[in-house]
Amino acid sequence: MPREQYQERLGELRQRVLEMAELVVERLRTALGTFESRDEEAARSVIDGDEEINERYLDLEADCVQLLALQQPVAGDLRFITASFKIITDLERIGDLATNLAEYATETDRTYSDVDVREIGALTAEMLEDAIDAYAGEVADATFEIARRDDEIDAYCQQAGEVVIRDLIDGEIGDSSDEEIRALLDDVSRTLLTIRDLERVGDHAVNIAARTLYMVENDDELIY
Amino acid sequence: MNMSTQETDGSPISTDVRTTENARADRPDETVVATRGLDVYYNDDQALDDIDIEIPENKVTALIGPSGCGKSTFLRCINRMNDQIDAAHVEGEVVFKGKNVYDDDVDPVALRRKIGQVFQKPNPFPKSIRDNVTYGLEVQGKDTSDEDVERALRGAALWDEVKDQLDESGLDLSGGQQQRLCIARAIAPDPEVILMDEPTSALDPVAASKIEDLIDELVEEYTVIIVTHNMQQAARISDKTAVFLTGGELVEFDDTAAIFENPSDSRVEDYITGKFG
Repeated sequence: MPREQYQERLGELRQRVLEMAELVVERLRTALGTFESRDEEAARSVIDGDEEINERYLDLEADCVQLLALQQPVAGDLRFITASFKIITDLERIGDLATNLAEYATETDRTYSDVDVREIGALTAEMLEDAIDAYAGEVADATFEIARRDDEIDAYCQQAGEVVIRDLIDGEIGDSSDEEIRALLDDVSRTLLTIRDLERVGDHAVNIAARTLYMVENDDELIY
Repeated sequence: MNMSTQETDGSPISTDVRTTENARADRPDETVVATRGLDVYYNDDQALDDIDIEIPENKVTALIGPSGCGKSTFLRCINRMNDQIDAAHVEGEVVFKGKNVYDDDVDPVALRRKIGQVFQKPNPFPKSIRDNVTYGLEVQGKDTSDEDVERALRGAALWDEVKDQLDESGLDLSGGQQQRLCIARAIAPDPEVILMDEPTSALDPVAASKIEDLIDELVEEYTVIIVTHNMQQAARISDKTAVFLTGGELVEFDDTAAIFENPSDSRVEDYITGKFG
């Protein structure tokens, strides 16, 4: 096949994006696990590991720029590189969100019976894995299903947020000390941020699915 | 490394590889040259196979494809330059503004004034710059004026560079200037279509980019049909792209952006991505 070196570089890019995706999923899963285990060492490994994800992102960004500049890709190759270029940004941001989640998980003392952070986390992580599988296998059909599931997660998160706010409104803090009130507010903030960040992981999973659909079918329906 | 607070990605994808003005792309297509069932043979070898195409007016149409696919043969059919090749035999129709150019009553020389041509290698006559430009008009028996010369040289973006040396030899110009002189010669008779057969392949990148800029201006007044081996050039400068493949088959003809972003035919995808050819 002509342009063998170029084809090899495209293959390497795909492989390295998938390796980065695998690492990001692993970090997200670890962060989500700390909501149950409250394992500070595991949380610390996620936070400290973000640098590695950032480096991989920058390396892959440079690879994409170089391929665009030197190889002038077109058609399917162009869509693959531009989709990958966007997808690594989503992965990098999910890495950031995983570090946030690891922090919240180990710092929050309060729980809400009607807010199952682990359940929301499991759904978003599953969505992310499915989006990555769609990219890896170039499966267009799966991308619409992933986008649909994000609507469910959004509704789930909105409901969870309302539970937290309502609990705050209804709660009695009459005799609480300033320190207790501050601790309560910190917990409420962290819980709301946890819900928001999980919802954002879902958004990034949809972005990955949308770019995959564009890559495979030249269809930008999910991008808009 | 938080690089943005925006999580949902609503930005439209930007892979439009066309750099020509969108206003031109949005113009409705009016066909100026059409072929119907066009076959060309060199003796018994078929060079073009049943080509049907409608080339739009005042747009740049690029013809691309591997060597020997028939794209230059196709170009030469449009102004009957193939008449000069004894072995060439043309069947089917090439319709220019409603008239089959192969009809018996069509004068090929008159046709070539309406459909000018620029070749791969700059080929100015060993005459002055002025005479190179006026040659085509004088062949028609027309009087020529300084205004005609200036208009053609301005049209070819060469006037400012040569206005003080019009009586010097065209051969003393640089390669890029010579090619623009050839373009001036082609536009002097006020043609409707300009055919270009790899017009920048013998030029350095700077001279080539001047020709590309010039094509972008020429198409405001003329229709440009260009054969190029440089796919990036086709992507940069053309509105429409026709892809010919081995066997003289026109495999795909579409907006250039569509060809280079999402071709319909897998053979075109393989060709433009370099998987064969």
